[in-house]
Amino acid sequence: MGRKIFRVLILFMVVSFIVGAGNCLAKGKVYINGIDANFPPFAYVDKNGAPDGFDVKSVDWIAKEMGFKVKHQPMDWDGIIPSLRAKKIDMVASGMSITDKRKEQVNFTVPYWKIAQVIVAPKGCALSVDELLSNGNKVGVQRGTTEAKWIKENLIKKGKKFSLVEYDSAPLAIEDLLNGRIVAAAMDDAPAKDAMRKKPVKIIGTFGMASEDFGYAVRKEDTELLNKMNEGLKRLMASPYWEELKAKYKP
Amino acid sequence: MMESLIILYGALPYLLRGSLVTIAVVVGAMLLGLVVGICIAAGQVYGGKWLRRIIGVYIWFFRGVPLLVLLFLFYFGLCSLLNINLSAFTVSIIVLGLITSAYQSQIFRGAIMSLPEGQLKAAHALGMSDRKAVMLIVLPQALRLSIPGWSNEYSIVLKDSAVTYALGVAEIMARAHFVASRTYEQLPMYFAAGIIFLILTYLGTKGLRILENKVKIPGYSS
Repeated sequence: MGRKIFRVLILFMVVSFIVGAGNCLAKGKVYINGIDANFPPFAYVDKNGAPDGFDVKSVDWIAKEMGFKVKHQPMDWDGIIPSLRAKKIDMVASGMSITDKRKEQVNFTVPYWKIAQVIVAPKGCALSVDELLSNGNKVGVQRGTTEAKWIKENLIKKGKKFSLVEYDSAPLAIEDLLNGRIVAAAMDDAPAKDAMRKKPVKIIGTFGMASEDFGYAVRKEDTELLNKMNEGLKRLMASPYWEELKAKYKP
Repeated sequence: MMESLIILYGALPYLLRGSLVTIAVVVGAMLLGLVVGICIAAGQVYGGKWLRRIIGVYIWFFRGVPLLVLLFLFYFGLCSLLNINLSAFTVSIIVLGLITSAYQSQIFRGAIMSLPEGQLKAAHALGMSDRKAVMLIVLPQALRLSIPGWSNEYSIVLKDSAVTYALGVAEIMARAHFVASRTYEQLPMYFAAGIIFLILTYLGTKGLRILENKVKIPGYSS
């Protein structure tokens, strides 16, 4: 009896591993787009659990236009570039700012969106950006983002008296803002506008960081995909669907 | 409040589908841990000096390094180094399985050691080989004795599986986080995730308790 159970268990394990490996192989030609699903309105999961958002729908359109298949894989933002380089995913179309530092590791498509960084505070807040970023206040930001890096290098190191609290995602920073653990949060203007539509928060203003461009990231050696994405973006931005997307997601 | 409940209701099917992923990860990891754990326990009890030393290092390593570190080490580190492309799901099963194998081995070792030594001697006297005696006499008893400890290990692995969301495995926790990001309803989502984990813990330990009673040998005590 005991041996039988044991054998069945081993069989089960072997089968499940083979099935797992089979799934890997079957992926074949489908490109995988890694998204930070905690980044509405550019990338999130909808009510039914399907990936949705401005970037997701853009890539879907490009894939159809350029004749390839794409799957969106939600993952942690912190590990998204390592995942791309380790070939876990083939591209990142998820509101990624084009920076020189990131360009050393990956290639970017042409810019498709200009984004400003803003300070968000609760609706009733009467303070200015300068007042919020002083007095030893706590300010929230998403870990691993360009704004987190910029604030550390250009404000905190230069002697501004406030401390930075880092979160997994911008929505978590908003939640803690409403909890009162931080007085303000720094983030891209698009998710800030998204938060304003859903929660009692408002954009106070910019904090001196230059606006950035979003682009899709692909691996350095993957020039074929880069060309496809660039051509696809060009066609998308010239098509009426681009305006539809903007109207729908209001980034 | 009403609005939160409606959002929660809408998100529930999505969260529950995540529990299937959680169950798959946990079952896979527990079975891998079972197979490796039994081998380790047998090696530790019956093996030679060098085998015992190697096993000691193995257990020390997998009990000593935090789960999150091991997940990143395997997923980003080892997979690229060896140029194998395993999915986050597979890596999660392997890492959780290896960790739990280290713990499970100690459950099995304790159970094996609790058996009277005379049994093996009697088996030898009857002309059984070592392997045969362990497979037919020691393990059937030891595995029965291990079930309570094993169900404890199950609940630990189940809870640890939530950490795999860091690799992007779409299990319960990751899904709760995704929905919370879209809707800004943090409390109901994490609350629901907690309830689902509680139910899974209950079902698993209950099932193992039933198994324990089912395989019990009437009138037998060690």
